[in-house]
Order: sequence, then C-alpha cells, then structure tokens
Amino acid sequence: MQSFDLATYYPIFIFLVFVLGFAVTAMAMAHLVGPARKTPVKQMPYESGMDPVGDARQHFDVKFYLIAILFLVFDVELLFLYPWAAMAYREGNEALLPAELRGPVFVVVLVFLATLAIGYVYAWRKGVFQWR
Amino acid sequence: MNPTVELANVYLLALPEIVLTLSACLLFLAGTFRQNRHFWAMKSLGILGAAAFILALPFYRQPVDPLFALQAPNMVQPIVLDRLALLLKIVALIGGAVLVLFSWNEVSDDLAAEYHACLLVIIAGVGLSAMANDLIILFLALEMISIPTYVILYLQKTDLGAREAAAKYFLLSVFSTGLLLFGFSYLYGLCGTTNITALLDGLRSTDAGRLPLIALVALVMVVAGLGFKITAVPFHFYAPDVYQGTSLTSAALLAFVPKVAGFAALLRVLDFVWPGNRPPGVALGTQAPILFWILAAMTMTVGNVLALLQDNLKRILAYSSVAHAGYMLIGLATAPELAHQAAAVGGGQAVVFYLVSYGAMTVGAFAVLAYLSTPQAPIETVDDLAGVSRSHPAVALMMAIFLFSLIGMPLTAGFAGKFFLFLGALEVRPEQAVLFRCLALIAALNAAAGAWYYLRIIAAMYLRTPLRAIDKPATWPGLAAIAVCAAITVALGVYPTPLLQAAKAAVGQ
Repeated sequence: MQSFDLATYYPIFIFLVFVLGFAVTAMAMAHLVGPARKTPVKQMPYESGMDPVGDARQHFDVKFYLIAILFLVFDVELLFLYPWAAMAYREGNEALLPAELRGPVFVVVLVFLATLAIGYVYAWRKGVFQWR
Repeated sequence: MNPTVELANVYLLALPEIVLTLSACLLFLAGTFRQNRHFWAMKSLGILGAAAFILALPFYRQPVDPLFALQAPNMVQPIVLDRLALLLKIVALIGGAVLVLFSWNEVSDDLAAEYHACLLVIIAGVGLSAMANDLIILFLALEMISIPTYVILYLQKTDLGAREAAAKYFLLSVFSTGLLLFGFSYLYGLCGTTNITALLDGLRSTDAGRLPLIALVALVMVVAGLGFKITAVPFHFYAPDVYQGTSLTSAALLAFVPKVAGFAALLRVLDFVWPGNRPPGVALGTQAPILFWILAAMTMTVGNVLALLQDNLKRILAYSSVAHAGYMLIGLATAPELAHQAAAVGGGQAVVFYLVSYGAMTVGAFAVLAYLSTPQAPIETVDDLAGVSRSHPAVALMMAIFLFSLIGMPLTAGFAGKFFLFLGALEVRPEQAVLFRCLALIAALNAAAGAWYYLRIIAAMYLRTPLRAIDKPATWPGLAAIAVCAAITVALGVYPTPLLQAAKAAVGQ
C-alpha cells in the first residue's frame, strides 16, 4: 500500500484555483465593465428565444413520463448490448474476455434481456401503451 | 481453478436469493392476470419457504454441526456464506415470512402481487448484503433493499402524508447512498481492491498509527452512509415523518430491514467479523470506538428524549427505533476493547443478538397496531389504544410483552439484549473504564427514561376506559404474525444461550 501524500495532487489544486479564479473574474468583469441597459426585452425570462407564455409551474400528464421511462427499456438495452457485442468476441491479442468465460457472460446478457422483457410485458399488461 | 466452475460456485451460494428474485419477477408478471391478496400472500409464503429449504439443503448431509462446515471469507470470492451470512439469512427469511403474514390483509387486492414481489426482492437484498464480501456487491445488495422500499412506500397509500414520506425517504436515501459510495471509493483508492477481505488485510498490515488520513475520511463517510440505514442520530430526521406518513406495514419494514442490512454492512466493512488475532473494528483507524461512542450516546439520548414528547404511536415507535439503534451502537464501540480482554460476551456478538431481539419486538408492536386498525378507524394516537385490554385481552397482552421487552424488563428478549450490551460497556479494562462506564450510565438513564413512554401505552391499554369501540374481525394471518414475534421475544428472554452462541460464532471471535 502506498502512503498518501497530498503534495502529489498539487496540479489539481492549481487547476481548481485557476478555474474558480477565471469564473469569478469573468463574472466580475462583466458586471463592472459591461454596460447595463435594462430594456423590457432583456428583462424577460429566457426561454430559448421564444416569448415566455404562462407560468412554468403547471401540471403535465403522467403519460409523457411513462413513455419517457419506457424509452429507457430500449435505451439501456442498447447501451449495454453494444459494448458487449463489440468486445466479447475479439480474438488473439485484442481479446478482453477469457474464452471460457464467454458462455457464462452470454447467459448473463440473456438474463439481462429477460429482465428488461419482464419490465416491458409488465408495462404492457398494465396498459401503459394505451394513449388515454 | 476453471473460472466457469468458480463462477458457478459463487452463484450456488446465492441460490436462495436467485430463487426469491426470479419468483418476484414472476409475481410482477402474473399479478397483472390475477388480483387476490390471499392468493399472492400464500404464494409469497411458499416462495420464502422454498428459499429456506434451498438454504438448508447443503447442511442436510452434515448432521453433526453444520455451522463448522461453513467457510471464512477469502480474497477471491465476491460473496461468501460464513456463519454471519447464514444467521442473517435465516433472520431475513423468518422476518420476511412475518412481514408477509402481517401485511396479508393490509394490502389491497389489486396491488398485492406487486407488494409481495417487492418484499421478496427486499428479503433477497438482505440475504445478499449479509453475504457480500465485495464493496460493489454490498452496494448492489443495499440498493436491492432501497429501491423496492421506495415502491412499497408509495404503493399502499397515496395521500398527501404518504407522498411526503415516500419523497422524503427517497431523497435522503439517495443522499446517504452518495456518502456511502464516496467512502467506498476512498477505500478502493487506499487499497486498490474492492474485495473486503483483501482490503481489510491490506489495512491491517499497515501500522495502526501510520494509517493515512484518508482512511479516517473513508471511515466517517461509510459510517455516515450506513448511519442513515440504521437511523443513527444526525441521520435520523426522516424516520418519524416517514413512519407517520406511511402505512403500518411499511413502517415495520423500515424499522427492521434497513437496520439488519446496515449493521451487517457495518460489521463487515469495518472489520468486526473474523478479525483473527487483531482487535476488531479498528482497521480504519483507532478513533473508530470513540466515533461509535459519540454516535451511541447521541442516538439513544435524542431518540428517547424526543419520544417522550410524542403522542402519535408511529412517531413513538420511530423514535424508539432511533433509541434502540443507539443501544446497538454501544456494542460497536466496546467491541475492540472486549475482544482484547477476551470478555465472555463480545461487542459484535451483543449487536447481532440485539438486532434479532429488536426485530421481533418492534415488528410485533407494529403488527398489533395493524391488527387493531381498520381503514375507517386507524389506531394513531395513544388515546386510540385506551381500554384495549377489555375488548382484545390476548392482543393487549402481546402488546404489553413487546412494550416490556422494548423497556428491557427481565424474561424478555429486550432485557437479555440490553444486559449483554451494557455489561460489555462495564467490563472494559481499567485504562478505558471511566469512558465506557459513562456510556453504560448514559444507556441506563436512557433505558429508564424510555420506560415512561412505553409504560404510558401499557397504562392506556389496561387502566383507561375505551374512548371508542374497536370492532375489527379477527384475522388469522395478523394473529400469527403477532404470535411468532411474541414467541421469539419471550424465548430469547428466557433462554438466550442458543442465539448468543450462534452470534458468537457469527462474528468469529
């Protein structure tokens, strides 16, 4: 076990000081040097260039959230399967997974897919796909 | 060894948990086809029974003493079935069965399958966290407990109080998980491994005085993250509000399950288990006993004092669960000294014993409240229990047993547990004697103060006239849950030796 020496991390502290200093300086300079002409348009809340309409605090229908969460079923699936598919079956020097572990890992991936499928069927049976 | 065989062996150790999780998946799916609380509760009991059977199967062929056939944690396996794991898995399965019985009629028909599925995943999580010998597995197991708990908190009640409870528990639990992971990352950074045995071995090989400062940061962060689960004092704020807002079944679950998992994790990560010839619990710094001393004193005092001010039964039991976490922390504080002088009852051993006793008496008390409550007329304040001894004499007697046990009256599990913990604090050798005698004094004063709010409930049950009639039809699952808890409470009080021996073997001292 190596002994911990704080001094070896000094570049991080220099970096921190630099970052904080830059942020504070930039904001302070903008505040002090920049002209402050308050027109009604500039005082408006910024909503990506659109004119703000109504109050931001309003109810959204829960079905939007359900669809967004269901999207995760497929998203996570891809996120997990792609690196596995790209890495697991490399040969020779590039091999990352010992050959005898390929079978068990394949089973684990199948279990993962089955878990997602259960979630999908559950959502389906609960009527999440009906747009009410 | 062939890695495939090695992997298969690891999976075999977790077979009961795998069965529980798979069954939970099936319950989620099948619950969309059939909605009947009796059906799903029965299935859930059956699944817990099957898991217990699988757990017992390897010991069938070795009738001599199964405990000694178990292995000690090693530096390779991510999970391990040692005596502590076996004991806590049995506790988790029994606790799970009691919770199923207890919530039998408390969940609605259409949510019963989901509720029981979540419960099975939680029980699997407890088993896995008891077996974890790897920081990552331990973290995953704790999440396996937390995430279904969020669901359960929101599943049964959706009024304003329950929503507040679910949101509060979710946010604070996520925060505490962050602290825990922060501590784990420092542990990994110190030793370059996530295997707990290898990690503690690395730390032990360093001279205690020359441990880097960062080990102390890891210690504080791990204790803080797990302190939330066991409701140690600076992290207890959620408990009363969440217990009050949620249903009685969820409150019982929260009072029991996270404490078991949290103390199991504390015992494992902070080197209280299998210490060999080294003092337990000081691998991350010799300051650990003092940290636990302060936490124990604060936790029991705050819990008991604030419980005195409450009138709502769920809040009283919430603060009582805080106070009892404080008593258990005494065991962690005294463990290193007691192991050093080879005391009769070690610190870690007393903690494990108290954990089981506390689970039985607290879940039992919640089960009584649930048994007497109806949706129209819930039992909420002490006044609601007035005169229960006349309408329900047997249940009132059981409640009195649980409350006397929580006070620590002789012949109950609570007395035996407190006796071992306090005795440990008094036995510490002369150099540290004053410090730990103070702790024992604080604990004794707290136990005396705590008696007031428990006795208030007993007095309301036996001495007052009923304010309103409690007419709930008798339900056998609720009664069975109460009876099991009462039997464990009395049995451990009258004859504590078997569990005490099992606990001694579990922590390997």
